[in-house]
Amino acid sequence: MKRRGILQATAVSLSSALPSWTFSQGIGSIKPGKPYAGTEVNLLTVVAPQFKAHEAKLAEFEALTGIKVKYQYVPFANTREKLTAELVGQSSQYDVLSAMDVWGPSLYNLFEPLNGMLEEKKIEMESRYPYAHLRASRDGNGQGKNILGFPIRGHVQLMFYRKDIFDKLGLKAPNTWDEMVAHGQMISAKTDLSGVAMYYGKTAGQNLMIWFNYLWGAGGDLLDAKGQPAFNSPAGIAATQAYIDVLLKHKAAPAASASFNETDAVNSVAQGKSAMVPVWWWRYASLVDPKVSTLKPEQVAFAPLPSMPGKPNTTYTNTWFYGINKNSKKKAAAMEFLTWLSNPEIERSVLLDKSMNEVVAMQTKNLIDADVNLRYKGMHVFGAQALKGAKGTPLFPQWPQVSDVLEASISELASGKTQVKATLDDAASRVRKVMRG
Amino acid sequence: MRLPVHWLLLAPALLFVGAMAIFPLGYSLVLSFRDWKLARSPVAGDFVGLSNYFNLLTDDPDFFETVRVTSVFVTADVLVTVAVSLAGALLLHRAGRLNSLARTLLILPFVMSPALIGISFRFFLNAEYGVVAHAVGLLVPAMKDTVWLADASLSMAAIIASDVWHWAPYMTLVMLGGLASIPPDSLEAARIDGASSWRIFCDITWPQLLPVISVVMVLKTVFALKAFDTIFTLTNGGPGNSTKTLAYFVYEQGFNYYDMGYAAASAYVLTAVLLVMAGFYLRLIFAKDRAI
Repeated sequence: MKRRGILQATAVSLSSALPSWTFSQGIGSIKPGKPYAGTEVNLLTVVAPQFKAHEAKLAEFEALTGIKVKYQYVPFANTREKLTAELVGQSSQYDVLSAMDVWGPSLYNLFEPLNGMLEEKKIEMESRYPYAHLRASRDGNGQGKNILGFPIRGHVQLMFYRKDIFDKLGLKAPNTWDEMVAHGQMISAKTDLSGVAMYYGKTAGQNLMIWFNYLWGAGGDLLDAKGQPAFNSPAGIAATQAYIDVLLKHKAAPAASASFNETDAVNSVAQGKSAMVPVWWWRYASLVDPKVSTLKPEQVAFAPLPSMPGKPNTTYTNTWFYGINKNSKKKAAAMEFLTWLSNPEIERSVLLDKSMNEVVAMQTKNLIDADVNLRYKGMHVFGAQALKGAKGTPLFPQWPQVSDVLEASISELASGKTQVKATLDDAASRVRKVMRG
Repeated sequence: MRLPVHWLLLAPALLFVGAMAIFPLGYSLVLSFRDWKLARSPVAGDFVGLSNYFNLLTDDPDFFETVRVTSVFVTADVLVTVAVSLAGALLLHRAGRLNSLARTLLILPFVMSPALIGISFRFFLNAEYGVVAHAVGLLVPAMKDTVWLADASLSMAAIIASDVWHWAPYMTLVMLGGLASIPPDSLEAARIDGASSWRIFCDITWPQLLPVISVVMVLKTVFALKAFDTIFTLTNGGPGNSTKTLAYFVYEQGFNYYDMGYAAASAYVLTAVLLVMAGFYLRLIFAKDRAI
């Protein structure tokens, strides 16, 4: 009861500190009289347990509206190709499409602006979603006036660690990256585990996701105000050196981290090989899932991501949104579905469903919900705090090329064959060429 | 005027080939002369002449790096595949129940998905729990704790090994066919004359098998130039860009960067290389035919 009281107090104080968040309005309503009964809405989405849970609730929506919704899932690695095919073919096969924030600028032509429909339904997006997520569904590189979708799945990064090992060695969760390194070295020396599972290998830009926090924490940035590379500034070089040193100099990460992707790093902790991993919060489910992990829930704890000494915590965020296909012939029915799906109660019911460990919460109301925080030991309060200062990837059409250049550079640096300054300078010259486009 | 019956009978097949092969080839050729960035517009843009080809061949260091990587990969991949499949065919050529079973099982790696092979090799080579990485560490102590996929040369070796594992069994079956076509009389006569096995191989088997080996080399070169799935799932072109091949480059331009005109031009350069290689090997085959 004491823990519940603390969490509730935290949730209440957090909500009172943010007076602009109002929850009683702006949910939107389903049109009465089932005007679209008999319509079939087709949805194309990435594979995620959260979406399977939504699909399991569709009978409720169908009873309410008479609209039938059919889900088609695509593995993450193929999602962008599938969206590209829809864009090129100008197909109306799917009415609702899912996309990740960084793809948005390349796919604006695929999505119908929702402003008119949102106004008609009196849905207030600003009061429902943290800005960090809402920007992902706007056009104009996150600054435009058109809203292209509902944020449906998004993440903040947390530091997951082995509580039993930390307790045994008298350690507390690291507050700074330097502390993380020191803890990692101590764990390597005193146990048969590696310290912190990092991921420097190439897979869809995953090796940039922790690097961003080093870069921003050190006062660096990806691009300057003129849209030119700034990551090779002195701050950027120092941040990148510190990031690579975790592996090559301090050896606080297992050597295999040089080729790990995010999944490999999580597996390293789940299989009892490493004691820490800084990663998206949704990975909690696989760390405590007895089917894929050797760990019990009580062995896994989490904390906000470490920061640079004396600097505030940073977290990179990532957002998926559901939007309506511009070529759809069933836009109104699709909007009914999105209105229903985006009701905070749907998200809350998935979060509290004890048959799964789906931690993803997008709506401000659920992030500070006492029951949600009680179930996940306060994880969502951390998430809400992190999201207030969270940064996402800059949204611009050339990002995929820029990401590939940076990803290859980090992977190269982790192999230990090149120097940080020279590699970043070379990357900067490539990025300049990309930006000239 | 009546249409000859044979044209009517051929029409479905011609329509199918036209729709599935000729039209995409022609359309992508047209695209390679246009400026079409999907992020800007869902419809193809203006004709830009040879601009995409010009940029590719004069102003894209990444392209030349991928050509270099592709050359290394294809050369090593083809040579190792031919060597392994030739050795396998010579071993399995003799009659016997075990050899028959082995020949049947040979088809299994070939029917596996290349993407699955890439993922499996990624697990095998994982430095923490990979069975192959562990076994190599036991056999060669200097390679204990080696992170295979973090080293450019070892990553190249890994993609070659996975591709050889996929293709060598099928090529072994092709070579077994070639070996079966060598007249047994000449082999028998050589043995009666006291020729050693090596001598028989060099003077009888090898020359008569050369046309089949040439075909295997042509086919394997084409397949290696097109290799993508295994590389995508095993190394993602890394570390750095050390295993990024031309096929991967084309994929990136089209599906990551949405530059359809540039992707089409890159794909046609790859096609041109394929045609040159095929022509080279076909000439080799005909030259040998004439010699024989």
